[in-house]
Amino acid sequence: MDAFIRLENVSMLYGNNGTSAVALRDVSFSIGAGEYVVITGESGAGKSTLLTILGGLQVPSSGVVLMKGVDLSSLPADGLADFRRETIGFIFQAYHLLPYLTARENVMVPMSPLRASAREKAGRADTLLASVGLSGKEERLPSELSGGECQRVAIARALVHDPPVLLADEPTGNLDSSTGEQILDLFSGLHKSGKTVLMVTHNRANFFRATRSIRLRDGLVAEDDPLLSPRQAP
Amino acid sequence: MNIRKLAWKNLFRRKSRAVFTGLGIFLGIGTFVALASLTAQMEQAVQDKLDRFGANILITPRTEQLSLGFGDISLGGTQVAHSRLAAADEKAIRGIEMKERLRSVVPFFLTAADASGKNLVWMGVPATEIAAARPWWKISGNPIREKGEVLLGSEAAVALDKGPGGTVVSGGRAFRVAGVLHPTGEKEDGMVIAALGDVRSVAGNPGGVTFFEVAALCKDCPVEDIVAQIGGALPGARVSAIRQVVESRKAAVDQFRRLGIGVSAIVLAIGGLMVFVTVMGSVQERTREIGVLRAVGFRRKAILSLLFWETGWISLLSSASGALVGLAVALLVAPHFGVEQASVVTSPALLGVAIGMGLGLLGTIPPARRAAALSPTEAIRSL
Repeated sequence: MDAFIRLENVSMLYGNNGTSAVALRDVSFSIGAGEYVVITGESGAGKSTLLTILGGLQVPSSGVVLMKGVDLSSLPADGLADFRRETIGFIFQAYHLLPYLTARENVMVPMSPLRASAREKAGRADTLLASVGLSGKEERLPSELSGGECQRVAIARALVHDPPVLLADEPTGNLDSSTGEQILDLFSGLHKSGKTVLMVTHNRANFFRATRSIRLRDGLVAEDDPLLSPRQAP
Repeated sequence: MNIRKLAWKNLFRRKSRAVFTGLGIFLGIGTFVALASLTAQMEQAVQDKLDRFGANILITPRTEQLSLGFGDISLGGTQVAHSRLAAADEKAIRGIEMKERLRSVVPFFLTAADASGKNLVWMGVPATEIAAARPWWKISGNPIREKGEVLLGSEAAVALDKGPGGTVVSGGRAFRVAGVLHPTGEKEDGMVIAALGDVRSVAGNPGGVTFFEVAALCKDCPVEDIVAQIGGALPGARVSAIRQVVESRKAAVDQFRRLGIGVSAIVLAIGGLMVFVTVMGSVQERTREIGVLRAVGFRRKAILSLLFWETGWISLLSSASGALVGLAVALLVAPHFGVEQASVVTSPALLGVAIGMGLGLLGTIPPARRAAALSPTEAIRSL
């Protein structure tokens, strides 16, 4: 499988008042298109840092991050914003929906700077909401939705530009196990549709869906194992 | 959903913050518009009143001081007039290029003559022009309404021991005393004031004019131009602007304007500061939201645009409502500031809305730049 994402000797140091902390040390690995990778590790192992670097939200202190052959550190701030919009969908543990917008409007937010008619944007949002099982709830505010429904809205928002890569940070961390299962089913479906999924998680249930597991410890890749995913299962 | 609508929606999310931000602009623009509108109305009212106040140009015969002496002995001097003014000169004055600026041209004729056995100065002035020429006169009795009537200055009335209804005799003619002037502190206190024709006939000088008083409307023109034109029309006359009147007009109007500008500037500065502080606070509060927007692909320009639209909506609404309230306040209080006919002056309102928008957007520049420069990482760390 060709490398869709490649990290070469990526290190990340956080400096603060003369002291520095190492979040990642010489991390190198490749991810092929269509993989479903779970990233695990103890708290402070560098999982979230890795995710933000992969998402182009921050540039590593050293090393190279290549996605679709593009060196992310070579892109200017606005170039990175464009790249994120076109290539990456973010899903956060706490959903981070805008509380004053309806489900439909939240899904439409990434399309705000784009020139398209309101009807076109709303149509796209409704289609995505339907695909995550939220038909009929387009007009509801986040406060009127359950945690699982909010996470579905966040997934629909991440999919609005049909990005090839989904980055998820503990997407089931705030949900009960039953709702979490439903959300993971959604991710499985997206993976099957061809998306590359990278998920930071502690949820063991993910191990039965993912194709690969990367375990971080103290900023180093401690384990990198292929998993037997349902797709690979006989 | 677009950035404009996103900004609009956010205003309703933080209503109290939006109201507080708008309050600064509302008060600033309301004060500015009220003061500017009131000042404009007062300016016009003062101008009208000062124009009504009386003449600002005096036309007298050109004279020369002739010194008299013999050897080391000085015998004083005397004024020698080059020429005399005449009734026909009024036509020449009214024929100048800026004639439409002349509100009134009033001929005066002075002569010393007998008044019931006393030698007094008689002042002749067209009876219909007295009220316009001397609006400050207060009369016990009635003003002159027809020929054969006189007004007595306060001292003249004492000297003649006459009051309203009495009779003054001069040259065999009897004049009825219509009224007595309250003391003015001027020379007319000792004069007998009568219709121009009556004084001319008492003096036996049918076309005599001692001086002209001209009231010129000079809001938009320098009085010096009118003086020069009258001087050109009457080469033998000395034409002079009564500077005190002209300058006091300017000073009074300028004082109102300066007061308005000063107060408005202070209130607007406070309004701008309120915008700056509240928008800066809003940026701090919304670090996470900005991080999410950056994560979903918002460029820096889109973040700037979002904040500018938010403040733009607030500025537009608050400055427009401030301008309306300011106009209403100016309209209501104008009568208490000496404006007899209050009117709506729209230009300060339009200027106010423009200033309000400018102020709001100006106050947003530093916080918006800070928000746009915010690294997505900083924002994401707070997630």
